[in-house]
Amino acid sequence: MIVYDSVDILLNDLKLSDGMQLSFHHHLRDGDHVINQIMNAVNTRDIHDLRLHPSSIFPSYTAILEALKRNRISQLTTSYMNGPVAEYCMKHPLKHGLHMQTHGGRARAIMTEETVIDIAFIAAPTVDVLGNATGTIGPAACGSLGYAIADAKYAKTVILVTDNIIDHIENPQIKKDTVSAILKLKSIGDPKGIISGTTTITNDPVGIQIAKKATRLIEALGYIKPGFSFQTGAGGISLKISENIKQLMQQNNIQSSFITGGITQYHVEMLNLGMVKSLYDVQCFDLVAVDSLKNNPKHRSMSAHEYANPENPNRVIKNLDVVVLGATEIDLDFNVNVTTDSYNMIIGGSGGHSDTAEDAKLSIIVAPLIKARTPIIKQRVNTITTPGHTIDCFVCERGIAVNPRRQDLIKILEKSHVSIIPIEDLLALSHDYTGIPESFPSKKEVIGNVYDRHGRIIDYLYLKE
Amino acid sequence: MNRSYLFIPGDVPRMLQMLDVFDADAVIIDFEDAVALNQKDEARFLTRNFIQTHPPKAIEVYIRINHIIDDPKETMKDLEMIIDLPISGIVAPKINRLSLAKLDRYFEEKTSPLKIIGLVETPDVFFDLMTLAQHPRIQGLMLGAEDLTRIMNIERNLTGDNILWARSSIVYAMHSVSKEAIDTPYTVIHDHQGLAKDATIAANLGFTGKAVIHPNHVEGVHLAFTPTEHQILTAKKIVEYAKKNQSIRFNLDGKMVDKPIIDKAHALLEKYAKNGDKS
Repeated sequence: MIVYDSVDILLNDLKLSDGMQLSFHHHLRDGDHVINQIMNAVNTRDIHDLRLHPSSIFPSYTAILEALKRNRISQLTTSYMNGPVAEYCMKHPLKHGLHMQTHGGRARAIMTEETVIDIAFIAAPTVDVLGNATGTIGPAACGSLGYAIADAKYAKTVILVTDNIIDHIENPQIKKDTVSAILKLKSIGDPKGIISGTTTITNDPVGIQIAKKATRLIEALGYIKPGFSFQTGAGGISLKISENIKQLMQQNNIQSSFITGGITQYHVEMLNLGMVKSLYDVQCFDLVAVDSLKNNPKHRSMSAHEYANPENPNRVIKNLDVVVLGATEIDLDFNVNVTTDSYNMIIGGSGGHSDTAEDAKLSIIVAPLIKARTPIIKQRVNTITTPGHTIDCFVCERGIAVNPRRQDLIKILEKSHVSIIPIEDLLALSHDYTGIPESFPSKKEVIGNVYDRHGRIIDYLYLKE
Repeated sequence: MNRSYLFIPGDVPRMLQMLDVFDADAVIIDFEDAVALNQKDEARFLTRNFIQTHPPKAIEVYIRINHIIDDPKETMKDLEMIIDLPISGIVAPKINRLSLAKLDRYFEEKTSPLKIIGLVETPDVFFDLMTLAQHPRIQGLMLGAEDLTRIMNIERNLTGDNILWARSSIVYAMHSVSKEAIDTPYTVIHDHQGLAKDATIAANLGFTGKAVIHPNHVEGVHLAFTPTEHQILTAKKIVEYAKKNQSIRFNLDGKMVDKPIIDKAHALLEKYAKNGDKS
């Protein structure tokens, strides 16, 4: 396997040219050094019309911002973005637009060759001399490389970018067969930067109330039983729900079958206590999860295809019982926005939100009714990230609303101690406190598309004026 | 009888807006210790406007005013701003005969029905508890152990052994007039085990409820002040047996039951009927 130690020589050999499609993954999150090193080298060249496919974009990916300013990039396709790159894109339209996918939709698009990647630059914490790679060991160990697997299998050229080459890797996450070359850099990232925004259980009294209500809802609907599966993510409220569920499981001596999605220390603790049979990990949210993935065979990494590709009949989330998700906005049809804020700025994206909402038997949105003096419920969300027909319940500190499409759930709850309230009443209640907010900023020029996991456009992104 | 009285600072809009969210039986909006002097006007206006536009539903609201003897100017401003609000009453700091008389006179002049919960937080007042307890304006007395121990220059320890006499004095005085005896709050925010222990001690001493200084403590206090499932089942069994057999003295599961125990079982079931489904 050829090993490069210079980005410039590699780019020369790759004959990087106008119009190429490049991909990156985001497992090192805000601690990633790969994207910036590659893109800094790209920025020195007279190359234009590049189409980038980073699985997510974080604030530290400043070289992408520089590339945008130098007009190197004509199209960006990603599942999540925030920070300066997001702000720039919303104010400076790209020639071929901004495209927001889901994690499962990204894997589907690559595997169906709807998206054709010319070069995949894959940050690989450890690589062996044959070109196998793993994320579990190395100075920048980040655990699962789940979002990079489709790129590794389907890109025309696959470059593993590493700072640690060893003789042999047992059970590699990326196999040598499709790897073209290795690029060895001094550092590919700071593992401390992989820690997700909020990976601690909330102590906020409002968050605790929401978690309590959501837990009672899940319990009343009969989901907490032997063999059930769930995904709660890494938000503070979600983790509080995990803790509440854990207590109920301990009280009733229940073991769950699996927890999936982004994994944190709290999920690892449940695995170690024997309360869950397996963790299916597409992305480690903290370093305890990274360590567990390395050492515990019941903690398994999986690709985005295995996790959420809607065309994979064996995808893990097809068997998911309960998913708890957040929201920036939710509307009266239960459409959820986690992509833009009320100033029409991109602050996130679907990630796995839309994938899990569609597949899980019970999808619950948790959020405070009023956030920063703004009601969370709108007549219509600014941007649809996750269609309302896939959302079952909304839980806030003042009550639980159930999507009228789920009459089956409403009937069960009518016989329980859990009371529900129409989402319209919650909207009125929030307006009672805040007044009716001004309408959204004007939407004139379309600068991008929001896709569901099947590749269908479900909403548009508009120029921020 | 409220199990929990949750203190909420009067100058924090987010907390005011959430006052009915935390499942407390009652809230006390604070104008006194939790509000800096230069924020007191803000607290008064904010609270007044909020309560006028959002009258409390399904929760009792009290306002802790400033001290009418030590700080009459601030206290009169407090009273003027709350006298016509749809609240249940006020919490009066450092209650004694004089402060109670002044407040009562003010309310009489205004023909206000507002009740007073007196904060017992000075040593001298323990020798006047019965007088205070019997006053018709008094709804309950609340122990303020922080100020009490500070004045007495003793440690405010977590076991509460050095405030046992103070606690019991209030409990006995208030039970003698069938009014509320409200325990001092537990002040360590994240120590939920300590809270559970402290609230259980208070409930076992005979307090009817407890002050709460953090919303996350409400659940723990309610647990201590709500009958357990076993207690409810036993009480139901006693009441049903007594009714069925028209008896006030019988042997049930090897234990002697007589009238006081039957009365106690009735009282417990009444208490549960009021609060059981809210805990």
